[in-house]
Amino acid sequence: MTFNEIMDLLNGIMRTTGVFNFDPKVIVMWAIASLFIYLAIAKKYEPLLLLPIGFGIFIVNFPLVPMMGYEHGRPQLLQFFYHYGLEWEIIPCVIFLGLGAMTDFGPLIANPKTLLIGAGAQLGVFITFTGTVLAGFTLKEAASVGIIGGADGPTTVYLTTLLAPQLLGANALAAYSYMAMVPLIQPPIMRMMTSKEERTIRMRQLRPVSKREKMLFPMVTAGIIALLVPSVIPLMGMFMLGNLMKESGAVGRLTETAQGSLMNIVTIFLGVSVGATMYADKFLSWKPLFIFGLGLVDFAVCTIGGILTVKIMNLFLKEKINPLIGSAGVSAVPMAARVSQMEGLKADNTNHLLMHAMGPNLAGVIGSAAAAGMFIAMFH
Amino acid sequence: MKKYILFLIGLALLLPPSVMAEDFLKAPVIPGGKVLVKNDSRLEFSVPQGHNEVLAFYRNALKNSKDIRIREWKNETYIEDDGNLPWHSITISKGETGETKVIIVKDNWTWILGTLVLRFVGVFIVLLLLFVAMMISGSIISRSVGKAEAKKAAS
Repeated sequence: MTFNEIMDLLNGIMRTTGVFNFDPKVIVMWAIASLFIYLAIAKKYEPLLLLPIGFGIFIVNFPLVPMMGYEHGRPQLLQFFYHYGLEWEIIPCVIFLGLGAMTDFGPLIANPKTLLIGAGAQLGVFITFTGTVLAGFTLKEAASVGIIGGADGPTTVYLTTLLAPQLLGANALAAYSYMAMVPLIQPPIMRMMTSKEERTIRMRQLRPVSKREKMLFPMVTAGIIALLVPSVIPLMGMFMLGNLMKESGAVGRLTETAQGSLMNIVTIFLGVSVGATMYADKFLSWKPLFIFGLGLVDFAVCTIGGILTVKIMNLFLKEKINPLIGSAGVSAVPMAARVSQMEGLKADNTNHLLMHAMGPNLAGVIGSAAAAGMFIAMFH
Repeated sequence: MKKYILFLIGLALLLPPSVMAEDFLKAPVIPGGKVLVKNDSRLEFSVPQGHNEVLAFYRNALKNSKDIRIREWKNETYIEDDGNLPWHSITISKGETGETKVIIVKDNWTWILGTLVLRFVGVFIVLLLLFVAMMISGSIISRSVGKAEAKKAAS
């Protein structure tokens, strides 16, 4: 073998490594990935999702890695998860099944008025839609960005996959990041929107809810949603199925699986697939930055919408509602309800709002799904 | 040479109107149609062709546009752009007269804001109906539970 042949051989080997195909843009993506992994591990911000998302971003941003492409027409590993999990809209629905199996709708059933707060808190979704269209996004993209304010991760992923899959990474990341930052974003808005007197309003203790009512609730809700917003029934149907499984008490093993192992498995696939959609080439543009900026405004307006709805309701109600629970109308269960509780305690350290805030918090999940359904119906 | 330059200038002057006649707000317009209404935001014209031919023309002309949605209604076919094109909709009438009316409407904020307000109200309606259903089912259940408890107490 001649020297030249050896050099050619070495050259050929080197060209199959990432070093010779290196693009400096990926360094920015490594930094973004590291930031989210840091936030997940050190700050415990939505670690179950931000950690796999961060690692997904990290691992696909190396040259030549066979993760998100196709080889001989077959999807590579993460492409496989993404295609069958997200493009086929399976993962968000399975996550909703698990969430339903973990949710106690008692506070919402005991005080159904709070459903309206969940609707009012979708204000930001529609306002952001307008802002996004003004910025030059298409209507479908605007809808997928708007839903971030609903603070419901699976709903955001579901809607974005349907309407604007090219924005999936940015939208999911914005939604989960802001959900994690609810305790930082909401309190200043809550204090600004309410007087000291309003913050100390005491609410009557919630009535006990019978098991029959809890079992009937998922059936009634699924029926009404299926009739009025059928496009979102894959999400809400699974949510209500999970809840019926839990409340019936008849299928303990299934409930345990739905809220435990199954939920954990799909969470891994969701996180890593979402992260894997964020290549440097696609991600490093003004759009994701804009989505992050507008997502924050969206979240703030949704919080304002929830509080304003309570204030409007109080004009007509004899028994006033503490407007601090209005902010829980964005989903972000149960973080947003906890923020209402903490702010309530700051105003009056004997006034516990947690269970009252769980009503609008759960209504927010239904409200954001209804808003997503409205958008899907608009385009499909 | 002079004749050649004059011909080119003449061609350049004539070209823009003929190009404009082929589209309205970048929406394709079937040549040879009779203009019924034309202003900045709306073009209405009729063509001596059947509905299917007109629809086929638009399907072909818009085949590369990503965010186009075609909806079949009873009396017309409605083509809507959900992207960033300067036009919002093309409505093609259905009839058996051999003449088809086409309406092209400019993209407008009235539609966007109108549909958003309606959909926001729609979310309220969905949750309001759920509220009513819960009130009804709650009262039925509490009555039945009350009756059962009363029976128990009596026995």
